[in-house]
Amino acid sequence: MKENTPAAVPIGERSAWEATLSLPRAKDEAVARLVTIFGSLGSNRERQVHYVFDTGDACYREIVLPGDGPVRSVVLEVPAAAWYERELHDQYGVEITGHPDLRPLVFHDNWPDGVHPMVDGVDNVPWSNREYRFLEVQGDGVAEVAVGPVHAGVIEPGHFRFSVVGDTVLHLELRHFYTHKGTEKLFEGTSVHAGTMIAESVSGDNCFAHAVAYSQAVEKACQTVVPPRASAIRLIGLELERLVCHISDVGGLCTDVGFSVAAAYAVRIKESLLQASSQCCATRYWRGIAVPGGLRFDIDSRKLVELNQAVAQAAREFSDLAQLILSTPSIQNRFETAGILTRDVARDLAIVGPVARASGVDLDVRRDHPYCHYGRARFGVPVTHYGDVMARARIRIEEAAISARLIEETANALPAGSVLVPLELLGELHGSSAVESPRGELYYWLEGHNGRLTRCHIKSPSFQNWPAMPFAVVGNIIADFPLINKSFNLSYSGCDR
Amino acid sequence: MIFEVIERSLRQPNRVIPVEAVLGNCDGSRMPEVIAARLTPAIAQRLVEVCPTAAFRIEEHDSRPHLRLSYGECIGCGRCFEPSEGAVVTAKTFSWCGHAKDQLVRDWDLDSRTEVGPLRPEPKVVRGQIHSLLGRALNIRQLDAGSCNGCEAEISALANPYYDLERFGIHFVASPKHADMLLVTGPVTRNMADAVKATYEAVPSPKLVVAVGACGCSGGIFAGSHAVVGAVDAVIPVDGYIPGCPPTPAMLVTGILEVLRWGPS
Repeated sequence: MKENTPAAVPIGERSAWEATLSLPRAKDEAVARLVTIFGSLGSNRERQVHYVFDTGDACYREIVLPGDGPVRSVVLEVPAAAWYERELHDQYGVEITGHPDLRPLVFHDNWPDGVHPMVDGVDNVPWSNREYRFLEVQGDGVAEVAVGPVHAGVIEPGHFRFSVVGDTVLHLELRHFYTHKGTEKLFEGTSVHAGTMIAESVSGDNCFAHAVAYSQAVEKACQTVVPPRASAIRLIGLELERLVCHISDVGGLCTDVGFSVAAAYAVRIKESLLQASSQCCATRYWRGIAVPGGLRFDIDSRKLVELNQAVAQAAREFSDLAQLILSTPSIQNRFETAGILTRDVARDLAIVGPVARASGVDLDVRRDHPYCHYGRARFGVPVTHYGDVMARARIRIEEAAISARLIEETANALPAGSVLVPLELLGELHGSSAVESPRGELYYWLEGHNGRLTRCHIKSPSFQNWPAMPFAVVGNIIADFPLINKSFNLSYSGCDR
Repeated sequence: MIFEVIERSLRQPNRVIPVEAVLGNCDGSRMPEVIAARLTPAIAQRLVEVCPTAAFRIEEHDSRPHLRLSYGECIGCGRCFEPSEGAVVTAKTFSWCGHAKDQLVRDWDLDSRTEVGPLRPEPKVVRGQIHSLLGRALNIRQLDAGSCNGCEAEISALANPYYDLERFGIHFVASPKHADMLLVTGPVTRNMADAVKATYEAVPSPKLVVAVGACGCSGGIFAGSHAVVGAVDAVIPVDGYIPGCPPTPAMLVTGILEVLRWGPS
C-alpha cells in the first residue's frame, strides 16, 4: 500500500527558530501546505510540537519540535497555523511567541486560566468567569450583530459576531468550540478497538470517513494491509457518504434561498439512499462497519447490487434536480458572486475539500495520496476558480456524479475474500492516515502501546476551513450569510471535537 | 419555468410512510434485543466486557445474578451481537423511551432466564389518538447541547416527504419562545451549559423537555469527559428520553408521540 507515511524529522541540536525558518516547500509554493499542528507528550512527559506538511510528495512530512520552552509562531509565514497554535496553547500550555492573537480558542469563559487538559489532571476543574474580548470595529454607523450559539433551526451551536454598516458586513468574528467534548483526551488509554467508536462520534454525518481514517492509522501503525474486499467496500461507503452529503448540501442551499420544491426533492433523494444503506448493512450512516483490520462483517453481494441500483437511481434523479436548480434564474441570481473566497485566501489558509476546489485549489487526497481502492479507480477532480456559492454548488453536483460512478464500478468488480485481518498490536504503535471526507482532507495521527492509545490527534477539514469563511462573508449583505455558510457546509462538532 | 417545477412535483409519487409502519420501527438503528432463553451467565459476562458504554451490567438481586441493559447508554454499535451466541440480536421493533431513565432499563434473571419487571407494551398510539394528543399543534424547538450532529441529521429527516412530521401537526420553530417542547441532543458540554439553561428558561410553561440520543440520555460515549457536564438532565429537568445513536426518524416519531401521551412529568 502506497500511503502517506510521515517521516519524523529529528531536530537534534537545531533550535526551534532555525527549524521553523526552514519550512518545507512544495514545488510551486513558497511554503508547503500545512496539514496540521498538534502537541504530544514524550516519554518523560516533555511537551512536543508536531508540524505536518504536504510537500506534494507521496508522503506527508512531519517535523517535531520540543515544546517545553518558547516556540516561535509560524503564523506570519503560514497563516493557516493561527487556530492550530491557539489550540496548542490552550490544550498543552505551550508558550507561543510572536502570535498576534493568542486569546483562548477551545475553552470559554467558564474555564480557568492555566489549566491545560492534555498535560494537567482534569478532575474537578473549577468553574471560572474569565473575560473574552471580541475584536471591535469602530467608526460611524458600525453596528454589531451577535448570532448564536443557539441558532434558528436544526443546526449545531456556534457564535457569529458581525460588524455591519447597514446590511453590509465589514467584519465577522467566529467564536466556536461550543460543542468541544474533549474528544482527543478521551482516546488516551482507550483500546484501539474502542477508539473506532469515539472516532465515529466526532462528526456524525461523516462518521464513516472518520472510522476509515482512524482504522487506516491503526493499520499503518501495525503495518497491516486490509484485504482487497474490505478496501473496496470501504470505498463504496466513503463515496456513498460523499454522495449523501453533497445531495443534502445542495438541498440545503435551495432551502436557504426559499426554493422549497427543490429542497424537498433533495432530502427525498437523500432519504432513499439512507434507507438503501439501512437495508444493505443495517445502519443508515454506515456506523459500526469499518474497524482497524478491515470491516466488522461482510456485506452480501446481493444486497450490494440493490444498494447499487438505489445509488444509480438517486444519481439520475439528482442530476435531473441539479439541472433544474442551475437553470433557475432566481437561483443563479442568488448563488452567483455571493460569498467569493479567492484562491489566495484559500491557499494561505490551506483550505481543503470542495471549498478549496471551488476556489481553484486543485487538491484531493483520493488522487494525491491514494488509499483504500482509490489507487485502482479512475476519476477526475473537478476544479473551478470562481469561488462563489455557485462554484461550490457546481463542484458538489459534479462530485456527486463521480461518486455514484465510483460506487457502481467498484460494486461491479468487487474482489472476493475475507474482510478482516487480525492486528499485531504488541509494542509501540505509531501511525497516521489521511482520507478525503465529504468536507475535505481528514487526518488522524495516533500513538499507542500494546493495543492502548496514548495520543490521537484529529485534523478535521472543518477546523481548517472555518477561519476562511469570514473572508467569503465580508462585503456581502448579512442576509446572504446563511447561504454562504451553508455553501461551506462545515461541521461544528468536527471542528470543536 | 415555474410550470416545469410544478410538473416535476406532480410527477412525484406519494412517499409518506403510513403511521402504523413508522411507530416502533427501528430499521437502521442496530438496537439490541435480548433472547432471554439463550442467556447464560458466561454469555452475560461477555456482553458486559464488550459493551463500550457499560449499557450491559450484571447486578445481584436477592443473591441472584441479573443482567441489566440500559438503552439510554446503548450506542447501537452491535459489538454485543457476535459473542452472544444468538442471545443478542438486532431488534425488529423498538419503542423504549421513558419518563425516567430507569424506564429504559431492562432486567433479566440469569438463573431462570426470564425477563423481570414490567414488560413493555407495543406502542399504543393509534391514528385517531394522534390528533387528539396534539390538538393538531405541537411546536418543537431543537437544541443541540453538544452533539456530534448525527442526531441533527436524523431530526432534519423528520421533515422529509417520507416521515412528514407536519402531518401530525408537529412543527419545528425557530425560537424557544414559540415552543412547547425542547428536543435536546448531545451531551451537555461545559461551553453550552449556560446556553442550554437560558434556552430552557425562554420556553414558556407548560413545557416538555425530551433528551434525544445516547448522549442526551446518559452522556453516551462522551460520559466522563472533562469538557462535558453530563446528560441533559444534569442541567435541566427532562420529561422524556429517546435512546439511539442516533435514533432513526421512526424512533424519534415513536418517542415524541409516547412522551406526549404521558404529558409533563
